[in-house]
Amino acid sequence: MLYDYLRRGVQAGVIAGLAYGLFMAFVANPLSEYLHHAQHDHGHDHGHGHDHAHAVSETTTAIVSVGSGVLWAIFLGGVFAIALYFLEPALPGRGTGSAFVLAGAGFLTVSATPWLVLPPAAPGAEQLYTVELRLAIYVGLVALGALVSAAAIGSYGWVASRHRALGIVAATVPIVATAVVLSTVAPTIVSHPELAGELVSAYQAMAALSQAAIWGILAASVSWLERRETTSTAGVVGPNDRRSTSP
Amino acid sequence: MSEETVTDRIDAARAVLTPIQAATGLTFAAGIAFVLVFLQDPLAHDAMHNFRHAAGITCH
Repeated sequence: MLYDYLRRGVQAGVIAGLAYGLFMAFVANPLSEYLHHAQHDHGHDHGHGHDHAHAVSETTTAIVSVGSGVLWAIFLGGVFAIALYFLEPALPGRGTGSAFVLAGAGFLTVSATPWLVLPPAAPGAEQLYTVELRLAIYVGLVALGALVSAAAIGSYGWVASRHRALGIVAATVPIVATAVVLSTVAPTIVSHPELAGELVSAYQAMAALSQAAIWGILAASVSWLERRETTSTAGVVGPNDRRSTSP
Repeated sequence: MSEETVTDRIDAARAVLTPIQAATGLTFAAGIAFVLVFLQDPLAHDAMHNFRHAAGITCH
């Protein structure tokens, strides 16, 4: 049963990866290259001390970035499916509902919570901290994101047993509290001295929406694959029917 | 089905996975995460540059 979940997760990852790979190829790659050039042409000097002669060609960057995007989605799909296997009994909702709850928790953990301190940076950003420190902060924030997700799901379960709508309100409390506290407490550690604010916002929105889309596609695909498998085996009652053999 | 708990799922996983298999899977996942998110080698960094920016992964 664990293997069925993992297989569906990787399949869903391939579906999301195709979408995200196309997005990388036709939107994110050209836009990132453009922003990179726009700032270099201004006689831009990278303030952070590694005005590198690029180690690889632009074509390599474009191809590897698309490949990384596909691999990223497959990786998230695998992690998502394993987490779904273990946590499904504790998640609110049935089937598709619980998959989307977990996908939301995944987005909150992997992306949204870390972004409150380390927002997505457009090419050419000036960073206040070293990369080692930022990666350490990132790991800490992923752990915090997981705690916040657990708190949101926990408070939903606690309140929703009495009143369903109040449960949804209760679930947003830990999320909103974290967002408010972190965004007021955290210092601004990334700046874009040579880019218009609107452009930076658009780039960040692109990053946020595309990551959220990956999670949405993963949840939808995993549920779709599961439904398809249960209907295709529905006529065969016996050892092939996963539900009759599951412990 | 509805009475299933997280503990049941863990027990079921224990029944089908050896510790070696579980460790292999975790190592594999950690390897992918390390390469995509943490690896700062200039070659890897520059090659994945657009992806890391667009996915909001901290780099440089």
